[in-house]
Amino acid sequence: MHSSPAMERLVAALKHLPGIGEKSATRLAYFLLGTSDSLLRELSDAIARLKTDTAVCEVCFNLGDRSPCPICSDPRRDTSMICVVEEPADLASVEQSGAFRGLYHVLGGTLSPIDGMGPEALRIEELVARVAAGGVQEVILATNPNAEGDATAHYIADQLEKTEARLSRIAYGMPLGGDLEYADHVTVGRSLENRRDIR
Amino acid sequence: MDRLVSEVILMRAVDFGESDRIVHLLSPEVGRLTVIAKGARRSIKRFPGTLDLFNHLRVAVNRRRPGSMAMLEQATLLEPFLGLRVQSARYALASYLLELMDRMAPEGAARPDAQRLFGFVLSALRTLEGATPNARLRVLLELRAFDALGLRPELARCVRCGERPQGRVAFHVADGGVICGAHAGERSEGTLPVHVGTLKVLQQGLEYDYSRLGRLAFGPQALAEARQLLFRFQRFHVGIELRSERFLDESLGWAGLTPEST
Ligand SMILES: [Zn+2]
Ligand SMILES: [Zn+2]
Repeated sequence: MHSSPAMERLVAALKHLPGIGEKSATRLAYFLLGTSDSLLRELSDAIARLKTDTAVCEVCFNLGDRSPCPICSDPRRDTSMICVVEEPADLASVEQSGAFRGLYHVLGGTLSPIDGMGPEALRIEELVARVAAGGVQEVILATNPNAEGDATAHYIADQLEKTEARLSRIAYGMPLGGDLEYADHVTVGRSLENRRDIR
Repeated sequence: MDRLVSEVILMRAVDFGESDRIVHLLSPEVGRLTVIAKGARRSIKRFPGTLDLFNHLRVAVNRRRPGSMAMLEQATLLEPFLGLRVQSARYALASYLLELMDRMAPEGAARPDAQRLFGFVLSALRTLEGATPNARLRVLLELRAFDALGLRPELARCVRCGERPQGRVAFHVADGGVICGAHAGERSEGTLPVHVGTLKVLQQGLEYDYSRLGRLAFGPQALAEARQLLFRFQRFHVGIELRSERFLDESLGWAGLTPEST
């Protein structure tokens, strides 16, 4: 006997995780069997609380410990601006930049027909409703500058056709630390289009 | 051929592990080609701005490692098809055609087949970039896609007797071709009634240059028949449900077809 019903149960559960097959699941199970009780308790507790202690903000769909999230309930934020991002991780990036003091809207992905992701899979209707409710002067479409992100931004702009609010798209250009010699010609072209005065 | 240098169209890119991407390409040299782009997610210097959907690229691929996935060594952007991103119908139809090719184009295809497939995709994307796609263009490009895949329906001559059909005509789905009035009565099961005029437009759709496809005129009845015919033909001969079909139907403002509704 190389295993036990408890081991088999754990292996079967681990196999549901992305990128984990029978081999990796078994290796992880053996690792956990040999590890300290405190790590096991910490892991099982963290997993058990993951869903109960995580809230999706009912306004912007950011992840946090409560809803509305701390950003949406912060009275110092500028409620006339909404920055639309793909995922909570993108929101965190914009937040870390410190360059934006408005509110967010997390779409939950991008339009990707090939992956079966249509508009109904994203929080686009909710965004349109937020803007229609009034008080929004600018919507910044900050989806990633790739095919899916661009297509999603244009789709949203179409859905917001009737609004008076300004619709803007984050700028494209050379990345910091980039090199013109190695950049593709579209990036170089857009960097020139989006150039700024230096004095 | 250890090292392959080829122009390609990028049909799909999927994140893999922490820093890599797996990329599906269509090449006029070898057909469908799956490669791994090491470090593509981490390093902006490695493949800057190139590994994006619809991109027409020139790539160098290392296929020296037996039993493992070919490795992308270099990619240069030739044509980004940015116009496909700015209009939902273009994006939807281009995605739909690429999904079809990604799932149906053979890996390691013979050169003439690979060239035909690549030629179709490049022409279709160029056509779409300058078009406002509608249901007609969809039907015609779908037909050209089947043709490129080696699945050309017989629209001009009866598949039973070889005569040019006239009058009351049917399309036999399983046989993939038209049946003339004299033979249509034999077996109506698995056939669709279709007007000669509809077949004529579709035939022109196969023969015309891509630049003229948008100007092919056909009325609502011919369009409905053509769509039904291609839908049934696809389900029987290609046999896949495409994930992008729903968004495409929505984008073109046309309710989806189901086998039951036929
Ligand atoms: Zn919030
Ligand atoms: Zn006949």
